[in-house]
Amino acid sequence: MTEQELLYGLRNGEELAFKELVNQFQNKVFNVSLGLLQQHADAEDIAQEVFIQVYRSIKNFKEEARLSTWIYKITVTKCLDHLRSKKRKKRFGFISSLFGSDNTPLYEPEEFNHPGVQLDKKEDAKILFKLVEELPENQRTAFILNKVEELGYREIAAILNVSEPAVDALLQRAKQNLRKKINELPP
Amino acid sequence: MDNREENILNSLTGLQKAGAPDFFYTRLLGRMQNENAPQQKQYFLLKPLFVGAVLFLVLMINVFSIVQFNKTPEQNATVHSAGPASLQSFADAYNLNTGSVYE
Repeated sequence: MTEQELLYGLRNGEELAFKELVNQFQNKVFNVSLGLLQQHADAEDIAQEVFIQVYRSIKNFKEEARLSTWIYKITVTKCLDHLRSKKRKKRFGFISSLFGSDNTPLYEPEEFNHPGVQLDKKEDAKILFKLVEELPENQRTAFILNKVEELGYREIAAILNVSEPAVDALLQRAKQNLRKKINELPP
Repeated sequence: MDNREENILNSLTGLQKAGAPDFFYTRLLGRMQNENAPQQKQYFLLKPLFVGAVLFLVLMINVFSIVQFNKTPEQNATVHSAGPASLQSFADAYNLNTGSVYE
């Protein structure tokens, strides 16, 4: 099924077209979500929300960009919204713990193991993902799209609504920040 | 130290992309059906049972009002009939029947 046929089917509410869309994009959406959120359950949840959003707003898709770019854009937006809301809840949890009786944190930080990392690199990747979490949003997103989803500068630029040199600058700054953070780690 | 830095930075080299979990599409459809279900509940105002109950309630309020309205003239009549007598006794008790000092 070509992209045009897929879009035609989706706009007419055909279930077969929707199933085809999910089959084509589920791994891409899940992989990006997992990279950004670093939690399997959250990544699946957000991936589902992305497809629900695509189903509901396919009529607003103006074909100025590729379908994949549009879906990646929705995925990134949803993931960042989720992270912001989680951060807000965490902050609120901290404030309530100051006044509440029990001091148990609402979110226990878990160590993230990406299932696709080579066995001998698992420990290093675990550290890297932890440090990526501390990067500013745009650097983190560019880094994950480039290193985890292996997207090129052009597609990342289209997803983030920035120029290609800006993507390059974001990735350079991300690497610099990561190097700095690695050097600050205890030996 | 540089070696460690490079090892960590390059740890994602050769990374295999993660795949969506099994039965992703089935779960997605289930969620979409669940999310549609509460929207139907929003139209409970149009359900015949609800409409009937509201109409019955309005009818009962009307009946109650009519019954109360019919009772009121009798009560008013009692008040009116008792009115002058009680006013007289009130006036007697406080010597209000005597005219003005100028009369």
